[in-house]
Amino acid sequence: MEAEVFESEMVLPTYLRFKRIQMYEKYPKGQSRGRHWKHLKQILQAENYQSYPPNEPHYVNIESPPSMLPCKKICDITGYEAPYFDPRTNLRYANAEVFKIIRSLPSEYVQRYLALRNAAVVLK
Amino acid sequence: MPFISRTARQSDYSHFPSTCPIVIDNGGSYFRIGWAGETDPRLVFRNIVQRPRHKTTGETVSIVGDQDPTLLRYFDCTRSGPRSAFDSNVVYQFEIMEYILDFGFDRMGVDGSQSLYFILGQLPMQEKRVISVGSLFLKQVDHPVLITECVCNPIQSRSKMAELLFESYGVPSIAFGVDAAFSYKYNQQCGVCGEDGLAICSGFATSHAIPHSYIYGFPELLSLSTFFSLFDCSRFTWEKVEDLKMEHCYIAPDYASEVRLFQKGTKEAEEKTRCWQLPWVPPPTEEPRSEEEIARKAAIKERQGQRLREMAEAKRSSRINELENQLQGLEFLLQQLAYVQESDVPSFLAETGYVSKQEIESTLAKVTQSLRKAKGEQVESEAKADPSATEKFPLVNIPDEMLTLEQLKEKRKQLFLKTTTEGRQRAKQKRFEEEMERERLNQQDEEKRLENPELYLEQLQAKYKELSEKVEQRKRLKTNGGPTNGNHNVSGGVGRGERLNAAQKERMRLLTTAAFDRGKGEDTFGARDEDWHLYKLMSKDNDDDDEGPDEDEAELARVTSRLQVDYSFLYIKHMLLHLLNSLITSSLPMWDILLNLNSSLWQDIDPKFVPKSEPGPWQSSTEVPRSRPMTKEDFQILLEVERFRCPEILFQPNLIGIDQAGLDEMVGVSLRRLPSKAEGLEDRLTSNIFLTGGSCLYPGMSERLEAGIRMIRPCGSPIKIVKAFDPIFDAWRGAAAYANSLLFPQQTFTRMDYYEKGEDWLRKVKLIISEAYYALLKENRLFSFPMLSSLYGCCVLQLKF
Repeated sequence: MEAEVFESEMVLPTYLRFKRIQMYEKYPKGQSRGRHWKHLKQILQAENYQSYPPNEPHYVNIESPPSMLPCKKICDITGYEAPYFDPRTNLRYANAEVFKIIRSLPSEYVQRYLALRNAAVVLK
Repeated sequence: MPFISRTARQSDYSHFPSTCPIVIDNGGSYFRIGWAGETDPRLVFRNIVQRPRHKTTGETVSIVGDQDPTLLRYFDCTRSGPRSAFDSNVVYQFEIMEYILDFGFDRMGVDGSQSLYFILGQLPMQEKRVISVGSLFLKQVDHPVLITECVCNPIQSRSKMAELLFESYGVPSIAFGVDAAFSYKYNQQCGVCGEDGLAICSGFATSHAIPHSYIYGFPELLSLSTFFSLFDCSRFTWEKVEDLKMEHCYIAPDYASEVRLFQKGTKEAEEKTRCWQLPWVPPPTEEPRSEEEIARKAAIKERQGQRLREMAEAKRSSRINELENQLQGLEFLLQQLAYVQESDVPSFLAETGYVSKQEIESTLAKVTQSLRKAKGEQVESEAKADPSATEKFPLVNIPDEMLTLEQLKEKRKQLFLKTTTEGRQRAKQKRFEEEMERERLNQQDEEKRLENPELYLEQLQAKYKELSEKVEQRKRLKTNGGPTNGNHNVSGGVGRGERLNAAQKERMRLLTTAAFDRGKGEDTFGARDEDWHLYKLMSKDNDDDDEGPDEDEAELARVTSRLQVDYSFLYIKHMLLHLLNSLITSSLPMWDILLNLNSSLWQDIDPKFVPKSEPGPWQSSTEVPRSRPMTKEDFQILLEVERFRCPEILFQPNLIGIDQAGLDEMVGVSLRRLPSKAEGLEDRLTSNIFLTGGSCLYPGMSERLEAGIRMIRPCGSPIKIVKAFDPIFDAWRGAAAYANSLLFPQQTFTRMDYYEKGEDWLRKVKLIISEAYYALLKENRLFSFPMLSSLYGCCVLQLKF
């Protein structure tokens, strides 16, 4: 390893004196280990929140509720207010100029724009 | 910039008694660690880990936080990017967390043995005896730890954190706390906010409204980064985006009216438009060179040319000399040979190395020829470089009768040669013409494009569609063998027939029928001349591709190539051109891309960038056009609507497709959910709305929030919004102050408890934990009522992105 890298101490040492179990002991090299962590979704499922008393706060029920206000529609491309909607591409647009643009967009870009507001077609 | 990493190694670890807690603010974006009672964290670094491979040794190393990008060049970071231990605001990857804690403790100067001696000095005598010799080298971080976590952290995450700290680091005791609460507490002590209040913590990944409104803020960053990811460029750095965010983003008082300003292109909007100047180095200015300089340059060139010519001349003359010498030698030899008797010739020649007189003569002829060539005289062979066809093929035009058999053969050969050369020339001519035609078409297109780009594009697309359909149809026809064969194919499925085109199928049919015909009755095949046509049909090179499709395909290819360019022009122009170009990273390859984009796409493809007066010849997008020198303006990014479009999602998460209430609405919901209907409680809360977390640094945040809340609250209710003294560090400061208080040791869980009751204990005694945890919050007196206890349960809100 290069001298400058050493000097900057940017690389975490593999052996740390203050640790009881070193990283290499915990996660031995070369051994295939399954995923040892859970996604947040799995964690939340495992928490069994249904059994909690209803008025106790927990991670799931403190989530912000759906908005009561009507959703403002903005142009996907310019960010202006969008009175129109293109049924072919599902994009919202502000005016005729933008419409021309979205009609000429390849579907790949259309999907990227849609992905910005979670509306893209996801193939699983 | 507000965020600066501090990672210098601390040396005074041993000066702190083991009772002094280590305080960690484990935030979604930054990890802050320091000593209780101090005013600032010792270390601040980005809460990320990279595990690149060292380029030369190939070993995988762990790099925590941001490091000098110049040093990262020794590592291959392509396999794994920076990773975070967080899923929204919950720690879920404890391996990454461990690396981060390793780094944090290491830089704090934790050194097991040193501190142990220190402890031994501090301990009373009888306890010293208890510690065995083996544990003298006890490996542990011997300080209580206070670590922050999100509100309502799932028990699993908390117990894993406890496990990690107890088992890997041997921490004696742990306490957990909520960052927003600490921040509120700290500011309350500073007199920024009152005793009752509503904390809005807008952090990196989520935002919370507490008594409860949580919105941690990553959202706008997320959306910004999504904008960036539109462009297939994943290599922007967080810092750059963050800088961009910090520098330019603001929250519009009212999105709709603000956007209208921009739509109309008012002067106000122009003022609000920001330019982001990319690092730009002016090209070497090409001043008109002075006469003198030109003359000097010319002189240098001339001199160099002269020298080359001289060298060539010298070489030539030396060669001529050499050849002349040889010639003289040979002539002399021949003269000598004339005097020598026949019988003596071999012995005479033995000395010279030649075998016979003929050989000498032939050498002589060769030397003379090369001498002539060297002297620049025309060599005979060159004379026939371009003879007319008649000269080259003299026999072609002579009637057969006048020729001998030998000559006839020769004539046939010449005839063949002549036709092939002529054919070649014709093909060449044709190719040339085609090239010219294509060039001309492209030229025409270019002119049209410059005249009216939109119309041109439409036309081009129409043409593309038409052509592609045509070609497609022909292809279909060819493979399906036309409509008559079509229904056969439908039933036939995927046999061999499917893979053949119509002509090939016909051939197969002929072959089979011919084979069957042979057996029946009298074989009359060959009696008529037409019979033999069958073989012609059967022959392989029968698959005639008529000229039509070729032309169409060529045209299609041409249109496609032009369309591609035009798409990229669109791409740049309309897909937030400015944002794309802000993708500057300090890394060089990125720069190349950028430069390419700037030069090739902006200028060459966007007609607006090419001055109409000088429509330069169309160039492929990879070439850097020379039509106009690059200026500083080409490297500027205009941030218009984007400046407030991105942060707007804090208030309208719907904009990015998240169906949740925005910050202002959350405050309303949160107040509505308060179970206690105490007199004036809501007013007390709204008159003390406290903003903390990185996202509340946006200009206009307080104003917008106030306007939003005013809409929800009844008329005349007091609304006052205060911002934390330092929205970023206050959480740590509050935690450090809290950890320094005398009550702190009672609020912690000890390792003893943990070992006695096992790992599952944390889960089992959930209530105790939460009680202690709430007690901790109560202790903070964050809100005069324990907002996290069951009493106030659901008034905690969280907006996750």
